[in-house]
Amino acid sequence: MNYTLEKLKTCRYLYWGTFLFLGFLVLLGLASSAYMEHEGHYVTGMNNQIVWGLPHIFAVTLIVIASGVLNIASMSSAFDKKLYKPLAPLSALFAIAFLVSGLIILVLDLGRPDRLIVAMTTYNFKSIFAWNIFLYSGFFVILSIYIWTMLDFNVSKFSSVVGKLAFGWRIILTTGTGSIFGFLVAREAYSTAVLAPLFIIMSLLYGTAVFYLLLRIISKMQNITIPSEITVNIRKLIIIFLLANIYFLILYHITNLYISKQIAIEKFILLDGGGYTTMFWLGQVGFGLLIPLFFELTNKDNRDFPLTLTSIMVIVGGFFAVAVIIIGGQAFPLNIFPDHTIIESSFFDNNIHGYTPSIYEFGLGIGGTSLALIIILILITNLKFIPAKK
Amino acid sequence: MAGILGVEAHDGNPHVSPGKSKADSQEACVEPTDLMRKEHYMFLLHQRDETVIDGVRTKQHSLANCVDCHVSYDNQGKAIPINAEGQFCQECHVKTATNITCFSCHAAEPRYPKHKNITSSSVKEINELANNITYDK
Amino acid sequence: MINRRKFLVKSATALAITFVVPSIISNKAHAKKPLAEKVSDKQSWGIHIDTSKCIDGCTACVDACNEENGLTGFGRPETDSQWIRKVTVKSNTTDKITTMPLMCQHCENPPCCDVCPTGASFKRIDGIVMVNQHTCIGCRYCMMACPFKARSFVHETLTQQNTNAPRGKGCVESCNLCVNRIDHGSETTACEDACNNLGHSAITFGDLNDKNSKISLAMNSNNPRRLRNDLNLDQKVFYSNI
Ligand code: SF4
Ligand code: SF4
Repeated sequence: MNYTLEKLKTCRYLYWGTFLFLGFLVLLGLASSAYMEHEGHYVTGMNNQIVWGLPHIFAVTLIVIASGVLNIASMSSAFDKKLYKPLAPLSALFAIAFLVSGLIILVLDLGRPDRLIVAMTTYNFKSIFAWNIFLYSGFFVILSIYIWTMLDFNVSKFSSVVGKLAFGWRIILTTGTGSIFGFLVAREAYSTAVLAPLFIIMSLLYGTAVFYLLLRIISKMQNITIPSEITVNIRKLIIIFLLANIYFLILYHITNLYISKQIAIEKFILLDGGGYTTMFWLGQVGFGLLIPLFFELTNKDNRDFPLTLTSIMVIVGGFFAVAVIIIGGQAFPLNIFPDHTIIESSFFDNNIHGYTPSIYEFGLGIGGTSLALIIILILITNLKFIPAKK
Repeated sequence: MAGILGVEAHDGNPHVSPGKSKADSQEACVEPTDLMRKEHYMFLLHQRDETVIDGVRTKQHSLANCVDCHVSYDNQGKAIPINAEGQFCQECHVKTATNITCFSCHAAEPRYPKHKNITSSSVKEINELANNITYDK
Repeated sequence: MINRRKFLVKSATALAITFVVPSIISNKAHAKKPLAEKVSDKQSWGIHIDTSKCIDGCTACVDACNEENGLTGFGRPETDSQWIRKVTVKSNTTDKITTMPLMCQHCENPPCCDVCPTGASFKRIDGIVMVNQHTCIGCRYCMMACPFKARSFVHETLTQQNTNAPRGKGCVESCNLCVNRIDHGSETTACEDACNNLGHSAITFGDLNDKNSKISLAMNSNNPRRLRNDLNLDQKVFYSNI
């Protein structure tokens, strides 16, 4: 296919309108975070029981998406699919934007964000968290080089090598993100090896959905049509990833059911966890997997609208999936005394922990997400990322 | 344990903190005054790791002892937090526009502020008070 | 003018003499470490809790800890710090009810330290697990990792901290076995003192490496176990008669 890359050339009002709207949300996010840091975390819904909350759901979702959106570029570079080559720069750009914003949310939620420099200079190499900081910065560097090789024809011969490197790196990166939870020996919900592949497959699914959605928006703004081969292909991918996701989700829960000490937490998530059970079945499974699957299986003629709807649902479902993993895993009390029932404790050892996020956490999450979008908007307006027919 | 920066140790730049401190009556600080002025944070930084990680509890460069000695007392004999406006730490740090983060965690008052009940602000009494603050068992 | 530390140590000694059966005190009580000396692995500090002596409804140890470390709450139990807490459990098989204090178990293989990105959570060479609040960034990963929920995050701005227990907003904290007291030569922790003070003597602190220390002797005459032994964390806090 013959193509060139162009800048975004949309009407000025639309551009500035979007820019100001997103910018406003970013400022709101910053304000929320500043307030949280100034007052202390007691103003949030997080406490000593639920120590990671909404910001972490946003951040993990964004980071998972970051590695997933790169999928499109990987298919062109690592699997040599010519079809996706024109879209590869966009895909890499999305990856950077989501990665950066996910990390910024994480940092702004720290108890001492002012000590970021400590986090960047003192490493505990036993900590998977510290390794993740490496993985993230490495990913950032590789992606930047990758984009450069794609945009600058002088160095384009390296593009495929760097692309393959990026592909490998992102698999490790998602495994690393999943392992953050996998290393928590005492939290029953997380102690299974299936969590890492589950995260990889989640990233592929959400990333593809996000990519399609953004592509749709950009093509609307740029007034171009998405070639039908792309739509056909993306629909196929989404179906495959949905099925794979369902498969790994079943595998994850079956494995847990086989480990006898994990039956209690399974029962909690699947049956009697109240809000968490609802989030799992309605949000993660129904809204995020089954209904989209149904939509796509019936979408035989590859229409855009159902695919858009599917993508939105998948992303929302993904958000719930991460929420179930992060919050659900903490809500269930720790098994400190096996074979005993805790009947009294001043520290809520015998309660299912509730979590009601505050507006500030939500603001931070939305602000971070908007940051990703505004980065994309600024870069595609100023650099040539959008493919066009020659 | 010696004090820091007596009135005369300020090189003609008198101690302006309201109230009186034990340090006011001391000849010299734990290190030469000039050095302390420029490098006190280096001593503290060094000591902090030794103390937290290795359990070294010597008093010479201990922040707690800086506070005990340099904190001023008001006319009622009550200790004024050392990072309060115009007080020993704060005054300089404001002038040099450097944040002191120590006191977001560390006590800004001497070890036994609640046990004090003196009424006179005379240097003599402050001195007595100061002498009664002991660190080592 | 009473020097508080002197007072504490003196009263601790007095307590030990009054309330602890004198024979279990080691004849050669460990030599006090000079303040300038670094701690070493010669000692391995631990706590033994005889739950049969712990009284339902008594919170003396908790109160003493709060006093010693200046843990004044804000009336918000979900976010206020608790370094030590009382829990009451019932056996699923025998219906036996046990009440006991629960705090950081000072794991030999501490998950909190394994996960901490900056190494702020660390195990001192003498076995005390604590947070270096100079380098803690407040990520709370250690709280996620601790199997005993032993840690608290400081959720609000603090003022009026105790000199001997610096602590502040945005960092994680937990029981540090009264590290400041111990380094100054005390042989008891605040919780132990308080428990002894009431004549319950359920808590015994001491050097696990010293075969004649009060903790070693208390452990010999009981059948101490670690919580969640299956996790192989080799904690230094032991419980008897659960
Ligand atoms: S009990 Fe928890 S906080 Fe204490 S050492 Fe073990 S893992 Fe760390
Ligand atoms: S909260 Fe502090 S001590 Fe805990 S893991 Fe994070 S940096 Fe380490």
